[in-house]
Amino acid sequence: MNGVAFEQTRTLIDELLLEQQRLTAVERFALRHERDAIPAQAKLYRDLLPTRVPDRGEQYAFAVDLDACSGCKSCVTACHNLNGLDEEETWRSVGLLHGGTEANPFQQTVTTSCHHCVEPACLDGCPVLAYEKDPRTGIVRHLDDQCIGCQYCILKCPYDVPKYSYKRGIVRKCDMCASRLDVGEAPACAQACPNSAISITLVSQSSIRAQALEGIFLPGTPDPAYTQPTTRYLSRRGLPEVLAPADAHALRRAHSHPALVVMLVLTQLSVGAFCVETLLRALFPANLMMQLSAVHSLVALAVGLLALGTSTLHLGRPLAAWRAVIGLRTSWLSREIVIFGLFAGLAMLHATGFWFRPMRAFNSAGLSLAVAITGLLGVFCSVMIYHDTRRAFWRGLPVALKFYGTTALAGTAAVLFVTTLQALCSPSVVAQGAYQELTVFLSKSLVIITALKLAVEATVFRHIWNESSGPLKQTARLLTGELAEITTARFLLGLIGGGVLALAFIMQRPAPGISTLGVTLWIFVFIMGGELLERFLFFVAAVPQRMPGGIDA
Amino acid sequence: MNGLRQWTGPLTQDLVLKPGDFGLGQVPARLKPDATATTVCGFCSTGCGLNVHLRHGEAINLSAAPGHPVNFGMACPKGWEALTPLRATDRATTPLLRNARGELEPVSWEVALGVFVERFKTIQQEHGPDSLAWLGTGQITTEELAFLGALAKMGMGIRHGDGNTRQCMATAVSAYKQSFGFDAPPYSYTDLEESDVLIFIGSNLCVAHPILWQRVLRNRNRPQIIVIDPRKTETAMAATRHYAIRPKSDLILLYGLAHLLIANGWIDDGYISRHTTGFEDFKEFVTRFTPDAVAGETNLSLQQLQGLAEVIHAGQRVSLWWTMGINQGHEATRTAQAIINLALMTGNLGRPGTGANSITGQCNAMGSRLFSNTTNLLGGHDFENSAHREKVARILEMDVSRIPSQESWAYPRIIEEIDSGKIRGLWVVGTNPSHSWIDQQPLNRSLEQLDFLVVQDMFTSSETVQRADLLFPAAGWGEKEGSFINSERRLGHVKKVARAPGQALADFHIFQLLARAWGCEAMFRHWSSPEAVLQILKELSRDQPCDITGIADYADLSAAGGIQWPCPDKTRLRDAAGDRLESDSGLDGRRLFADGRFFHPDGKARFVFEAPRPLPEVPDANFPLLLLTGRGSAAQWHTGTRTEKSAVLRKLCPPAAYIEINPVDAKLLGIAPGACVCVSSRRGSVLCTAFVTSTISRGQVFIPMHYAVANQLTFPAFDPESAQPGYKACAVKVTPVV
Repeated sequence: MNGVAFEQTRTLIDELLLEQQRLTAVERFALRHERDAIPAQAKLYRDLLPTRVPDRGEQYAFAVDLDACSGCKSCVTACHNLNGLDEEETWRSVGLLHGGTEANPFQQTVTTSCHHCVEPACLDGCPVLAYEKDPRTGIVRHLDDQCIGCQYCILKCPYDVPKYSYKRGIVRKCDMCASRLDVGEAPACAQACPNSAISITLVSQSSIRAQALEGIFLPGTPDPAYTQPTTRYLSRRGLPEVLAPADAHALRRAHSHPALVVMLVLTQLSVGAFCVETLLRALFPANLMMQLSAVHSLVALAVGLLALGTSTLHLGRPLAAWRAVIGLRTSWLSREIVIFGLFAGLAMLHATGFWFRPMRAFNSAGLSLAVAITGLLGVFCSVMIYHDTRRAFWRGLPVALKFYGTTALAGTAAVLFVTTLQALCSPSVVAQGAYQELTVFLSKSLVIITALKLAVEATVFRHIWNESSGPLKQTARLLTGELAEITTARFLLGLIGGGVLALAFIMQRPAPGISTLGVTLWIFVFIMGGELLERFLFFVAAVPQRMPGGIDA
Repeated sequence: MNGLRQWTGPLTQDLVLKPGDFGLGQVPARLKPDATATTVCGFCSTGCGLNVHLRHGEAINLSAAPGHPVNFGMACPKGWEALTPLRATDRATTPLLRNARGELEPVSWEVALGVFVERFKTIQQEHGPDSLAWLGTGQITTEELAFLGALAKMGMGIRHGDGNTRQCMATAVSAYKQSFGFDAPPYSYTDLEESDVLIFIGSNLCVAHPILWQRVLRNRNRPQIIVIDPRKTETAMAATRHYAIRPKSDLILLYGLAHLLIANGWIDDGYISRHTTGFEDFKEFVTRFTPDAVAGETNLSLQQLQGLAEVIHAGQRVSLWWTMGINQGHEATRTAQAIINLALMTGNLGRPGTGANSITGQCNAMGSRLFSNTTNLLGGHDFENSAHREKVARILEMDVSRIPSQESWAYPRIIEEIDSGKIRGLWVVGTNPSHSWIDQQPLNRSLEQLDFLVVQDMFTSSETVQRADLLFPAAGWGEKEGSFINSERRLGHVKKVARAPGQALADFHIFQLLARAWGCEAMFRHWSSPEAVLQILKELSRDQPCDITGIADYADLSAAGGIQWPCPDKTRLRDAAGDRLESDSGLDGRRLFADGRFFHPDGKARFVFEAPRPLPEVPDANFPLLLLTGRGSAAQWHTGTRTEKSAVLRKLCPPAAYIEINPVDAKLLGIAPGACVCVSSRRGSVLCTAFVTSTISRGQVFIPMHYAVANQLTFPAFDPESAQPGYKACAVKVTPVV
């Protein structure tokens, strides 16, 4: 380009860059006469809404015409836009069931959102009563400002409905566009389905309950008896018997919830240490125990408080955590929080009893027992929190064996370590003749508990040979596949800490000293490492129940 | 406990809905618009109206446009998410030039334009007029396509240009041109609602064109819906009957049906004699396609064949619809014409609910077909016709010698000549051949050989941009104005509702700048704005079948919700109040050939046919399975350069490549559901996840084309008439990866 041409081009570039930023649609083409409060879409969705409000014993429910759903997934995006959701946030999803026979292959897309259950598990589990089942409409509504972001509802819902917003630190979910329904507008998804496959109907809660208890809902979905979902999936052509979700074989690790991993293991250590202390007070001379317990209880208390502190890191809105007391009636999470609160209080009283003269009455064996029992109750609540989610990997008995196993193991290892530390620092402890017996007793306990606990944990591997692809098989496949290295590390750490090193300790019966302290420290570190990994796997390998998903690649 | 519960507050407020006015019903209070405007979607050819919610003139949200004559308030996920890709973080915001270190580096527009002109002119001078080419698209506006084609061919003297429409619609173009005398899809979407028999051949409408499926469901005639497709697709599930024919036995099936209809006397002799030529030869030709022979080739039973013929015979209004399953085949044009032949011989053309109807792919494929100045001279004219050249030269006020008198090379030839070294400079506009071209690896090697590769694109991340020497940052759909032409020949207005990032410019503006930088701006002095170009296009279309002289301007298009061609002045039917007529005889919902007059000089349609040829690559012992490709989900668009920018759309499709394989084949090969498999053809090997499903037949596998791996496997077969690639069939083997 020559100079003049260049100059002209420069001017044109500037002009066009300016022109590019001018928006013209409004001044020229804005829809003038459509400043209309009446939704233009209304005539299309009128037939998709009930003609009256629910009577007593009735509620609104989604009805999905499976024959009409062709899998376009517009419902998901319309819900996203018309509800102003965050960029990656969706309240509806579309999965795929497939199967049939060679001669008559079959696929069926399944649109799904909140089922506004008759017995909403999210609501029952919520420690702060942030869920409400509207008595008039039956819509399960989430109170966003009440939520503390504990995400327990996510664990509780078998349909993967509540969604956590990291940005806000709370959960959000579908409310069936309640405010649209209030004024006679259709929910976004129903408005937007090109095939009119989604409608709102009135259902009788008792008939939903009856159907759910008979297991009638949709093939390839969790047992409806649990929450009694109200969505009705209808098909005139019928569904074949052989039908599986497109992602039935997908292995997806669940969230690891690191704060909960630490909180669970440390609360159990704390409770375990108090229990061991209580037990030792019954078995060993009072003189020795008076010395030991003072430190044991202090350490146990410190760990317990640390654990409770850590648990708040799990919350999206920790400052509102106090609200968790109000869900006691239905929520195991509330109960856990309240009982561990009580446990912490009693433990504090008990521990201070050793150190402050005026409080001496509190270092009694009775209070020690009370602390231990409260703690064990707290661990029971922890067990129930997970049992109550109905995830296969979180069935009550195995979880109880794990949690109480950790309680015993971590508590014992901690007490053993602290005792050898005390022995090193204060010769008067050793002077008490029973010291050696006590440490050997603790070590023997470690070996036995480790063996039992690892055996319990290993039982899940048997599901790898299951014929059908159930959640436990998926858990076993995850543990031995994608998570194999962590699983191996978990068992190795346990075997070394609670096996090899503890056995060495028993055989050598070492005298107090820095190397003895080293051994008990390693025992403690290995055992704790193993327990933390066990709890990590506890979360990531717990395959959640969910609605059929799409093709997984 | 209720006292301890917080029922309202800022978090609750986030989701509160309020009446949005403008007929929207409730909208998020945060996103309440102060105006709305209807625009046409920029993904597929359905051409849905989208209601853009504006605040201070800028788009803040979007919903489907109620009452729009195409989509009646519905949209597919891509439409709903149309604004999201505009906000992507990988938008090109400044021109990028490959520096000495081989990296793309930001440069000013002056530098970029200067380099373009200098490099392209040098190549042209050193290597002659065949040494430059461009590859266009069906994704930019008609005005831009015309500008690109006119600027490149007439302004810059670039001889060869083609569009990515070669990959999707070329077959329909060839078929219609030969059969009807013009590239003229005859139907309106209302035909979907008015048929009593709908036959979809190689069309997964539910996934590829969900809003057209909506139109099918509006049909109140309880129609027979026939789907002919090797796979049991979503559409096959929704149909009343599905015929899972052996892949690419479609031509034989269609000839066999013709034979059956003739043999039974189920044809419309009157229509045939009045409006067609060549039937006698065709009748003779199809005698060899006996039911026994056809049943053997297609894997259908005699009863199924007979049943299909009976349905066609019984229908009063039979419409036949096809998409890429037909267009992308090794003998595609003849297959499309075999469909046209069925419509002609049964008199199913020109009446409501009838037609041999090609459903287009891209939002502006038809704009490209008629106005991109590649295969056709602007306005559906013929480069080889001197009267046409003179007409165009007169309207454009340019010397007729600037207009080439020969067609340019088609896409496959352009790629070949890059490989041969004849083409040294390539300009790619709004398309991603590195991903989408059949057997993509040789193409990518060829692109590396170019002296200069210029890419004009919205994003910096596409596979093709990665290979570019120069990138022009383009504004996207929604950031510029213009028109699209949809499948039913409807011109719709696309509005400017968002600001382009940085220094990105509308393709239209880029062409304006290039005209000046190249020194040919005088030729384009009337091309000052898209709307000015629309006026030029109107003149170019005068007296053509695609006459649009009756369209006034963008305001006219916008108010009408789009206007179908032909629209010469005389058809501007309005009632006394000046309102648009909506009846069948009015402006909307018109179909072609109601009078039985076709565009050949004799006014008759032609029966065109040819003996079927075997698949170029058939499965054998080494590569025993037949790979089919196609669309995977309604949330994905082509190579995903836009749809992958939406977090929501990403959730609605499998995140990585997968292959559908029949349970019996999977078991034989030791492939577990969800396992990682290696898929190999003679061209390449790729990794996929196995989706074991009986919806795909034994001996066949399927990979969606949205994943770049698909075209590392495909076999480069081309239809000889249309030069369209046959993406749908190649031989592969699948092995488990341990």
